[in-house]
Amino acid sequence: MEILDSRLKLFLWLTGLSSLILVTGLCFCQILQGDKYVSLAHSNRLRMIRFPAPRGEIFDRNGVPLAVNDNTFSIMGYPLDLNTPEKLEHLSKILMRHGIPFTSSDIARTVKQQRLAPYRVMRIVPNLTMTQMAELVADYDFPRELFPLSVWRRTYPAGPTAANIIGYVGEISETELKARSDEGYTGGDLIGKSGIERSYEAVLRGSPGQEALEVDARGRKVRTLDANQAVKGEDLHLTLDMGAQKLAVELLKNWKGALLAMDVHTGAVLALASSPVYDNNPLAWGVSGREWNSIMNDPDRPMLDRAIAGVYPPASTFKAFMSIASLEENTINQNTIFSCRGGLRFGSHLFKCWRHSGHGALNVIGGLQHSCDVFFYQAGLKTGIEKLIKWGRKFHLGEPTGIDLPGESGGNIAGPEWKMRRFNSVWAGGDTVNYSIGQGYMLMTPIQIARVYAAIANGGKMVTPHLCVKGYRTPENIGLNPAKLEIVRRGLEAVVTRGTGARAGRFGVQVAGKTGTAQNSHGDDHALFAGYAPADNPRYVAVAVIEGGKHGSSVAGPLVGQLLAHLLSH
Amino acid sequence: MGFWNSLREDLTLTDRVMLLCAVTLSVWGVFCIYSAAAGGAGKGFDYAFRQAVWLLVSIIVMITIMRIGHNALLEGAYPLYGLMLLFLALTLLTPKVKGAQSWFGVGGFRFQPSEFAKISIILMMSKFMSRYPPLDLKTFMMCLGVILLPVVLVLIQPDAGSALVYLVISFGMLIAAGTPLKYLAGLVGLGVGAVPLMFFFFLKDYQKNRILVFIDPMRDPLGAGYNVIQSRIAVGSGGWTGKGFMMGTQSKLKFLPEPHTDFIFSVFSEEFGFIGNIILLVLFTLLIVRVILSGIRSKDRRSKILSAGVASWLWFQMFESVGMSIGITPVTGLPLPFLSYGGSSLLATFIALGLVASICIEGANSRHDF
Repeated sequence: MEILDSRLKLFLWLTGLSSLILVTGLCFCQILQGDKYVSLAHSNRLRMIRFPAPRGEIFDRNGVPLAVNDNTFSIMGYPLDLNTPEKLEHLSKILMRHGIPFTSSDIARTVKQQRLAPYRVMRIVPNLTMTQMAELVADYDFPRELFPLSVWRRTYPAGPTAANIIGYVGEISETELKARSDEGYTGGDLIGKSGIERSYEAVLRGSPGQEALEVDARGRKVRTLDANQAVKGEDLHLTLDMGAQKLAVELLKNWKGALLAMDVHTGAVLALASSPVYDNNPLAWGVSGREWNSIMNDPDRPMLDRAIAGVYPPASTFKAFMSIASLEENTINQNTIFSCRGGLRFGSHLFKCWRHSGHGALNVIGGLQHSCDVFFYQAGLKTGIEKLIKWGRKFHLGEPTGIDLPGESGGNIAGPEWKMRRFNSVWAGGDTVNYSIGQGYMLMTPIQIARVYAAIANGGKMVTPHLCVKGYRTPENIGLNPAKLEIVRRGLEAVVTRGTGARAGRFGVQVAGKTGTAQNSHGDDHALFAGYAPADNPRYVAVAVIEGGKHGSSVAGPLVGQLLAHLLSH
Repeated sequence: MGFWNSLREDLTLTDRVMLLCAVTLSVWGVFCIYSAAAGGAGKGFDYAFRQAVWLLVSIIVMITIMRIGHNALLEGAYPLYGLMLLFLALTLLTPKVKGAQSWFGVGGFRFQPSEFAKISIILMMSKFMSRYPPLDLKTFMMCLGVILLPVVLVLIQPDAGSALVYLVISFGMLIAAGTPLKYLAGLVGLGVGAVPLMFFFFLKDYQKNRILVFIDPMRDPLGAGYNVIQSRIAVGSGGWTGKGFMMGTQSKLKFLPEPHTDFIFSVFSEEFGFIGNIILLVLFTLLIVRVILSGIRSKDRRSKILSAGVASWLWFQMFESVGMSIGITPVTGLPLPFLSYGGSSLLATFIALGLVASICIEGANSRHDF
């Protein structure tokens, strides 16, 4: 017990001692240095100013600028200095005097939106030109507590031509601010909202500069306590070729749909057009609610990037995949002959060939060349849906390709399990028949189709489509038998040299590919063409999907042919 | 009538100076909270009113605990310890508030189990270390095990502040329980050794920043150093007599973060100055000394260790909170006992005082028996 008491007595001494330490500390702080702190508190306006960093600029593969920064000015201020209606009214009066239409309620709303802390500076009026700002600052009544800040405005020289790829920036929203609370964003910051601007936000944004100012009671700067410079974001050089992109947009002008071209070996995307187009410039500068609604509610959905998010039945372009799957599973070989009499009776239903008079006896090359439905109905039934799905998974159908753009769709690989889950009904033999010609439940995006054709062209490697070198991934070899692949490639060459896709081959380059006509229950059929060139040593793959284009052979084929010809001749 | 008479008798026997200090500090705290929160969206009255209600509840609970007696609560120390561990574990399942899961809600009523855990730890260790004094390595290790379970649970929340308080309370109780100096030295050595390890592997960036800023606030005046600088300006500008109640500019203009909780002392110092601070520190010191004296006067091992636990708790949070606002200790976000806004913290502190008050009564009774 004695030891306990002696220890407790030690506690008494320690308590006394620590209180003395605190008294000494307080004495030092409040008495000895008191005057210094009194004056600091008196004029205490430690203020923080944030300089947004210029964003990294974006260029195409030849250095053509696609996203650049313009210098503009904003009026900045502190919530503390705008906390009464009189102050707001005063500011509004001065702004109006210089032709800047900002009512006091507009300002009040801005203040309320950005108010995070009283010592955090906020943007009161954005987007002023140098002249406007100079006039304002020269005005004797302009509140000295407010100050100009030069800001960078994003502009997109290519505008609508590459809007679906580049995307646009906008002020960070409250939800984004919450989700990215640990990444150093504050209200009023610009952030990539779509496209490359969004997917490479972390690279492009740079780091903002900050300055800690000591200011007097009237808000004038006394001295800088601490500052760090803004660091510009990293510039991006895309794989995009603006020449090809312009051509692709031009070719699509009168249609709704997508047209894209990609390097078959690397997955580098050279053109990625989606029609109709929209202009990303006004979106980056802040559009009114009405303009925004008119874009969002447009029935043609210009903001939908059809090349990566539009899903379509692959239709007959799927027959190349069907040939590979059936050959690899040995359910057919080069000598397997099926006979087409214009249709195939399966169960009680007659599945017609597109050519009602029939194609006669064909092997797989002939089947591809004439796009014979009956040939692939039979190949599909022999191979069976399970094996088709197995090969579909090898080709990553039903999954996003991983392109470095946001909002990509994965399409739908469908199949018995999916049908049971979705419709609670059993996959019938007739479903396999439809599946075999790329109709029915199977849906693909144009970029997915391009990826499958790139694998055919490059000897069985699945590339990852990308627009920036940072998005490059080593292609995945899915192990196709070269001899069997060669048969399919001969079929695809025959399509263009003497078959349904002849019109794709009239532009001076040797194209191999496949036409497709997708049934559309809402209107005219969609026209498709997927092909690569040169046929004997492929470099580029291109895919066209034209909504309501009726026939793949007449509409989509020439588009792919022209785009490939342009790429190979430049 | 019997109830009031026995209550009066208890209040004559217990340490009235101690209780008076606590109530004075708390009432002063209510006023400070009113002033501190007035700078916000005019919520001063709301906060002060709620704190006043909590204070009333706390005093009633304290008296109840005093009358139940510390002996009865020590009887239930083991099951209470188990219950506390269960609550701390359940807290991990609740949604996060400000990045940590330290709140536990029952209906519309939310509380922080980590505050009440302090009482349970004190009861548990008083009983355990009286039964198994930590005089040899085996019992010492067992004591460490009892301490580490709740510490680990609050660290997962993550609530490093509470974990630190638990460790300090436990260390104080180990000292009081007569643990041999070599073990205590070993523990201190281990703690010092763990600091760099903690710094590089366990602390989150904001916590590292707080420590670096403690060393040099000007290294980051825009971020983590902001609180320290502003708090020091608030305290320093108080001068001898302070700016007067409700006249503090630092807290009113919202230069101070969390003025009614973590930085309540800065608000107090700015408005009441050096003289006010001396009075405040005298009240705190007197209170803690009285708690320790209750242990010295008691004849019961358990009571001695218990009082050491309560004293360590109050001392540490007081020292840390005052030290933080003048920049001699790092920012931890621990409340200043009695003054900071927060019902759980206030109630837990008063429960602990109820236990000490009961020890005083027993001590006085035993002296009468001679």
